[in-house]
Amino acid sequence: MVDIRNVRKGFGKSEVLKDVSIQIEDGQVVVILGPSGSGKTTLLRCVSFLERADAGQFTIGNETVDLKKASKKQILQMRRKMAFVFQNYNLFANKNALENVMEGLVIGKKMAKKEACTKAMEALEWVGLSEKALFYPSQLSGGQQQRVGIARAVALNPEVILIDEQTSALDPELVGETLAVIRKVAEKGITMLVVTHEMAFAQDVADKVVFMDGGVVVEEGSPQQIFTKPKQERTRQFLSRIISLDPMYYI
Amino acid sequence: MRTFHWDIFVEFYIKILPYIRVTVCYVFFSVLFGFLFGAVLAMMRLGKRKAFKKIAGAYVTVMRCVPSIVMLFLVYYGLPMLMQALFGRRMQNVTAIVYVIITFSLFLGASSSEIMRSAYLSVDKGQREAAVMSGLSEWDAFRRIVFPQAFHAAIPNVGNIVIYMMKEGALAYTIGLQDILGRGYYLNGLKANAYSMETYIALALIYWPCTLILEKIFALVEKRTGDVGCG
Repeated sequence: MVDIRNVRKGFGKSEVLKDVSIQIEDGQVVVILGPSGSGKTTLLRCVSFLERADAGQFTIGNETVDLKKASKKQILQMRRKMAFVFQNYNLFANKNALENVMEGLVIGKKMAKKEACTKAMEALEWVGLSEKALFYPSQLSGGQQQRVGIARAVALNPEVILIDEQTSALDPELVGETLAVIRKVAEKGITMLVVTHEMAFAQDVADKVVFMDGGVVVEEGSPQQIFTKPKQERTRQFLSRIISLDPMYYI
Repeated sequence: MRTFHWDIFVEFYIKILPYIRVTVCYVFFSVLFGFLFGAVLAMMRLGKRKAFKKIAGAYVTVMRCVPSIVMLFLVYYGLPMLMQALFGRRMQNVTAIVYVIITFSLFLGASSSEIMRSAYLSVDKGQREAAVMSGLSEWDAFRRIVFPQAFHAAIPNVGNIVIYMMKEGALAYTIGLQDILGRGYYLNGLKANAYSMETYIALALIYWPCTLILEKIFALVEKRTGDVGCG
């Protein structure tokens, strides 16, 4: 189980996260929705220690760390239980697709190169990119880069994958291929925490939807409940705007 | 116009050429120590401690404002005085090349720290983040992902610094070092400075291919370490 508890984070005077808690059962896909500036991405960055939270606890399986006070060693340990898919892919520019996937296996997990290579090829094949294995990120399209990013995350065999707005930097035409791959990850039964703007995707894949606004969790529940009978006025407003307005509005 | 003495030109060229080893020696060591020092300065400037940042920043500014020939004399005359005042030792046996290397290491420290800093900053932050999220330690993320990219970005500037060093190092003749230029000066002096044209053309024709070779080497390294096609 993944347990995010009482996370607080401020940048200067503005408080971005005000006591956020989210629980994810093993194998569950939790989708976080919310307007820009609601703190969704900051939450993902805090639990992965890319930002230091001001307070909060984070549990993966039977290991709990304090998000503010975690030592370097604890951070590395926790990071090795998770994987992160970035909004703008962040593939290693000096490595080809195969090496991108192998890096964490060989250097992070100390796996033998040959074994890592086999695993990495499997992962690339799984996202449908085995024939692009020797291509560098600069030679791949945005959607392909994103799929390599997903392969890189899945190959690590993490206990939880954090996915940050994986489609917002993509050409609308390429959104589909990426979402299809993420759906496959979900079907694999990997625990996931996904920040997205894709309502249809959330409805389709999520076991639980969390609606955030202004640094707090406004409402959470099954997609069915959130989309059809939201309890909070704020959620209703947000959903009606998204459904009626130009998509650019909420990106 | 007086005639150009080809025989003297050839004689000087052949006699000066072996002194390339002196030039190579101070270029190599100045660049080596300069970059080590520069790495420390760059770390201080990129680090979190404000005091370190200010010290390193001030050092770079000061070094930028001093012409290298002034610095060379300051080191040449100042260092022995300092050593005597501090340790009561005279530095009589220290050869000129040591002063040259010290001076230019101090200089290159400042300029190379700027190169390293900007090269480091040119690498997208997401590269480090992706590396640590793949389970790499901070050090491995730097060593395997950030550094190779920063290094690649820095190569043209590093090449410029090495070439600059070779040319600027010629000032060493002012403290009596016999490098290429110093040797040319000396040979011309032996002949009552009558053959300046021959001397300087010979010197130019020694410096020119050296610069050309360095340029080619750095262009090659840049190409080899490019993001596309490397193993």
